[in-house]
Amino acid sequence: MNGLSSIVWRGIAGVFVVFLLSPLVLVILFSFTSRAQSAFPIEALSLRWWNAMVADPRFWGALWNSLVISGTVGVLSAIIGTMAAMGLARLEPRRARPAVAVLCLPLMVPPLVLGVTLLTFYSRAHFPMGRQTVIMSHLLFTLPFVVLVVYARLRNFDFRVVESARDLGASPLRAFFTVTLPIIRATVIGAALIAMSLSLDDFVITFFTISGGQTLPVFVFGMIRAALTPMANAIGTLILIMTIGTTLVALWLTRYRG
Amino acid sequence: MTALLLAPAMTIFAVLFVVPLAYFFVISFWRKVLFAMQPDFSFANYLQVYDQHSATLVFTLGLAFVVAALTTALGFIYAYLIRFKAGRWGPALLFIALITLFGGYLVKIYSWMTILGIKGVLNTALLALGAIDEPLPWLYYNAGAVVVTLVNFSLPLAILPIYASMRGITDIELEAARDLGAGGWRSFSDIVVPRSHVGTMAGFGLCFLLAGGDYLTPQLVGGKVNMIGVQIAAQFGLIFNWPMGAAMSFVTLGSSSAVALLAIYLFSQWRPR
Repeated sequence: MNGLSSIVWRGIAGVFVVFLLSPLVLVILFSFTSRAQSAFPIEALSLRWWNAMVADPRFWGALWNSLVISGTVGVLSAIIGTMAAMGLARLEPRRARPAVAVLCLPLMVPPLVLGVTLLTFYSRAHFPMGRQTVIMSHLLFTLPFVVLVVYARLRNFDFRVVESARDLGASPLRAFFTVTLPIIRATVIGAALIAMSLSLDDFVITFFTISGGQTLPVFVFGMIRAALTPMANAIGTLILIMTIGTTLVALWLTRYRG
Repeated sequence: MTALLLAPAMTIFAVLFVVPLAYFFVISFWRKVLFAMQPDFSFANYLQVYDQHSATLVFTLGLAFVVAALTTALGFIYAYLIRFKAGRWGPALLFIALITLFGGYLVKIYSWMTILGIKGVLNTALLALGAIDEPLPWLYYNAGAVVVTLVNFSLPLAILPIYASMRGITDIELEAARDLGAGGWRSFSDIVVPRSHVGTMAGFGLCFLLAGGDYLTPQLVGGKVNMIGVQIAAQFGLIFNWPMGAAMSFVTLGSSSAVALLAIYLFSQWRPR
């Protein structure tokens, strides 16, 4: 490759990186401003808005809800998704593929439509809304990811080791817990973390199905609509740290590279 | 055994996806009487969507098309960079796409409010550079701001499937093409484009459907920009007319799927020469 075209490609890559990352970097930067607006110039770096955040009791309620919801969603989708992936791995790929596609359908529906559909359903079925309905709803869009990731891992899994365990007299359950699970454990945990980070970040479906409660994104939304201070940046930064942090661990565990 | 393993996932899919959507579809034929819903079999809601919201719907589909086309084109370039041009920087570029995929839907929209606003980062920067004397009011609260914001958070959704397709292209294929006398453009149009077709179309479809159904972006950075999602959300808020909201949701789902499929079909007929 000649020098000029290499410089051009580097320039393009640079513009892309700035475009993708600058919104995130700016949110984090403005969370440390000492002024009352999320804008330049930043007169001094301070923890003013982080202190305001931890002093606000609504923040702790929202954080607790977020942790309970995303934790439960992570565990449930890991168990249910791994079971489904095991089932699919027993089918021929030709027959498994349509089943995977069906499970992915909820990802094709805009979150707004999914949210109002579930709101209508819960409310007409007189199902009490709160954390439990948010957890159930999140499973719809986290399960496809878990199934895809774990199924991909099982596609190049040597099932002969499980057959050996079965030949030696292990029950199917025992063979799963002593042979299969230890081998695919990293992938399953990684998939659970991806589910957690999707759940943590969700605003739209949570907003329609939580009925009055708050998670961190719902809390930020309330702040954006009402009194806009850099405290929204502090909470936003916290959401980014949690979602990107879990994603990083997940990528490392699943060794997913695209 | 296989059925048993698949049962929990399929139950969730059926009870929380198929049944609610079917029920929602039934409700779209009901009517709102005072503050209650009344069972009915009437197309009045659909006629009203046609009468009152078809302009908004057409505008939304147009905007979603622009967003999806831009995002897919940019995503293609980025994926091409990772796969063929970036060399040892490829993994870093892929990594950036991956971390921006999962983090901060609402946070990103909020950030664009602080970038494009009248006292925003962009205006401040241009003023400081002396490029402008007055803040530019037109950066914000218009369709352009909505497009920029939507492209920004949809971009990883386009990059990843396109890159996944491009990873399947081997260097051997490209070398074979070169040995047979194909120039750079020829091997690009005859190998790279057709071989990444599946990923490109998946990225386009996903971005189009999500942009067409978004309501927060127009609400927060769009000002008076009216998209169908904003109208749907309003039916479940202040207006409180769920049957109408249901009818609008199904018209949106139907028309956006139709447009996405048509666009994908037309594109599959096209080969750059």
